[in-house]
Amino acid sequence: MTLDWAIVWENAGALARGAEITVLLAVATMLLAIPGGVLLALMRLSPVRPLALASAGFTEFFRNLPLLLVIYAAYYILPLTTGISFSPFATALVALALNVSAYNGETFRAGIQSIRKGQSEAALALGMSRAQVMREVVLPQAARRIAPVLASTWVSLFKDTSLVSVIAVGELAYTAMRIRSQSFRVLEMLTAMAAIYWALGYPQAKLTDWLYRRFGVRE
Amino acid sequence: MEIDLDFGPLIASWRFLLGGLGLTLALSALTVLCSLVLGGAVGLARCYGPRWLRWPLVFYIDSMRAIPVLVVLVWGYFALPLVSGVTLPPFWAALAALSVHIAAYVAEIVRAGIESVRPGQTRAALALGMSRAEAVCQVVLPQALVRMLPAFGSILSITIKDTAIASVIAVPEYLNCSQTLAGQSFRPIEVWFVAMAVYFVILFPVTRAVDIAYARLASLGRS
Amino acid sequence: MTAPSVPVLAYENVRKRFGSFTALNGVSLEVAHGEVVCLIGPSGSGKSTLLRCTNGLETIDGGRILLDGAPLPPDAAGMRRVRRRMGMVFQNFELFPHRTAIANVMSGPLTVLRMPRSEAEHRAETLLDKVGLADKAKSYPADLSGGQQQRVAIARALATEPEVMLFDEPTSALDPETIGEVLGVMKQLADEGMTMVVVTHEMTFARRVANRVAVLERGALVELGPPAQIFEQPQVARTRDFLSHLGWSG
Repeated sequence: MTLDWAIVWENAGALARGAEITVLLAVATMLLAIPGGVLLALMRLSPVRPLALASAGFTEFFRNLPLLLVIYAAYYILPLTTGISFSPFATALVALALNVSAYNGETFRAGIQSIRKGQSEAALALGMSRAQVMREVVLPQAARRIAPVLASTWVSLFKDTSLVSVIAVGELAYTAMRIRSQSFRVLEMLTAMAAIYWALGYPQAKLTDWLYRRFGVRE
Repeated sequence: MEIDLDFGPLIASWRFLLGGLGLTLALSALTVLCSLVLGGAVGLARCYGPRWLRWPLVFYIDSMRAIPVLVVLVWGYFALPLVSGVTLPPFWAALAALSVHIAAYVAEIVRAGIESVRPGQTRAALALGMSRAEAVCQVVLPQALVRMLPAFGSILSITIKDTAIASVIAVPEYLNCSQTLAGQSFRPIEVWFVAMAVYFVILFPVTRAVDIAYARLASLGRS
Repeated sequence: MTAPSVPVLAYENVRKRFGSFTALNGVSLEVAHGEVVCLIGPSGSGKSTLLRCTNGLETIDGGRILLDGAPLPPDAAGMRRVRRRMGMVFQNFELFPHRTAIANVMSGPLTVLRMPRSEAEHRAETLLDKVGLADKAKSYPADLSGGQQQRVAIARALATEPEVMLFDEPTSALDPETIGEVLGVMKQLADEGMTMVVVTHEMTFARRVANRVAVLERGALVELGPPAQIFEQPQVARTRDFLSHLGWSG
C-alpha cells in the first residue's frame, strides 16, 4: 500500500476553511447557548411553577436525546413546520444551540444553588435587595464554580460539531471526508482529520483541566 | 398551517424498527461492558502500574478527550482495515471504536474514584500488615467503587446516545432504521417524533437514576 | 433619636410555625436601649428563630415585632431599610469568600448606604482596628482563623451603624482558643452601650455581660430576669432542669 501524504498539504487550504467553520459554529452556538442557559436557569429557579416546569421539561428533553437525532430531526422538521427553508449551517446552529442550552441551564442552576443559603442571608441582613444579593454575593461565587464546567461543555461542543457533517455543513469533518471520497486517499485523509482534531482539542482539554484546578471547589 | 400526520408507514414497519432498537440496546450493553473492562484496566494501571506506563496511558486518555466519537468511528471502520489488514463488519467495528473511546472516560472515573479515598486508608491497611494488593482490593477499591457508581451511570447514558452515531458507518441501529424509513415513507415528521420518544423513554430512567445516585452520594458527605 | 423609655426592640406575643411544628408560641419580650439580653435554652427552643424573625429572615405568623416603637414593615423595601438599623452576626460567620476582609466590612456602606468609596474605606479601617484586625484588612477569609473571621463579621455588621446587634450563636463554630477573642469584642461593644440580643450557649458570657437573660423552651419564654437570678436562684423548675443538664453548678 502506498501512502501519499502530499494530498493533505495540497488540501491544506480547504481543511483550514473547514476548521474555521468548526470554530465559527462552536462560537456561534455558545453565543446563543449561554444566554439560553441563563434563561433556563432563571426559569427553573423562579417561584412561578409553570416557568420552572417548562424549563425542567426542556432540559430533560434535550439531555435524553442523542445529538445526532436532534440534528436530523431539526433538518427534516424545521422546514416543514415553519415553512422557511434553513441552510444546513442554520439548522446545525439551531440543533446545537438547543442541546447546549439545556446543559448550560443545568450547569448555571447547579452553580447558583451550590452557594450556601447563609451567604444570601448575611447579605440580606446587611439590607441588600434580592437583586444586589445576586449581583454582589451569589453570582460572583457561582461564576467561579461554573467556569470549569462551562469550559468542559465547550470542549464537548467543539467535538460535537463534527456530527453536523451528516447534513452537509462544510465544517472540518465534512471537508476531510469529502476530500477522501474525491481522492480515494482514505487512510491519509482520515488520519489527517483525526490529527487536526487532536491538535485543536488537546490544548482545550488541558486548559479545562487547569480551570478545574484553579477554580475547584474549596469549602 | 396544515400538517396531516399519518403513522401508518411507521406501524407497518414496526418489526424493522424493533430490530433497530434491539441492535441499539445490544450495541450499548456490549460497549458498556467492554469499556468498563478496558477503562478499568487502564485506570488501575494508571494509578498502580509502573511509571513508564503512565505517559502512554495519559496520552491515550487525553487523545480520546480531544477527538470526536465520529472521527474515531470513521477511522476505525474505513482506515483501520487498511493498516491492519483486518476488516470488521460494521457492528463490531462500531463496538471496538466506541469501547476504545468511552474506555478513556471510564479510566478517568476510576482514577478520580481511587484518588478520592483518603491516603490514610491505604496507610492504615499497610500498617495492619496487608500487602499492597490486599490494601487496594480490600480497602481502597470498595470505597472507590461506591463513589464511581453515579459516574458509571452517566457512562451508560452517554453510550446509548453515542450508538446513534454508529449509523454513520452503516450499523442498522435504531437511528439508521429511522433514517431509512423517513426516506422511504416520506413521513419524516412522524418517524422522527417517534424516534425522539423512543430514545427519551430509554434514556430518561437512566439519567434520573444517575441524578438520584449523585444526590444520595452527596448526602453521604465527604470523607 | 428615640426617648430612652421606648424599648429598642419589643416582641409582642410572637408566633411562628414551620408547617405543623410551632417554633414560637407567643413570646413577649422587650429590649431597652443599651441593654444586653442573652437568649438561652435547649436546641429547638426557638431562640434562633426569634432572632431571625427580628430582621425579617423569617416572617412571623402572629403577634408583632417593633423597632423603636414602630412595627416591622410588611413590604420588602421597608424591611431592607429596617435591616440597615440592625446588625446580624451568624454562627458560620458567612463572610463573602470572594472579597477581602476590608471589602467585606465595606459591603454594607457601599452597596446599601451608597456611601462614597473613600468614606466607606475609612469607616471599615476604623472598625477593623476596633476589632483588632487592622493588619488583616487585605486578607481573604480563607486565610483567616475562625475567630478572626467572626471578628471581621462583627465589624461588617457594625459598619451600617445599627441601633441593635443580633448575635446567632456567634461562638458555636469556633475552636476553644479563639472563642475568647470574639467574646472579648462582644463585651467591649456591650461596655460601649450597644443594644445586643445574643443567642448563646456560653453561660459564663451570659452571666458576666448580660443585663437580662431569657430562657426559652419549646417556643415559649420560660423565665426572664437578671443573670444573678437565672443562674443562682432560678424561679422556674424548667430553668433549673436546663441548667443542670448543662452541668451548670451556679
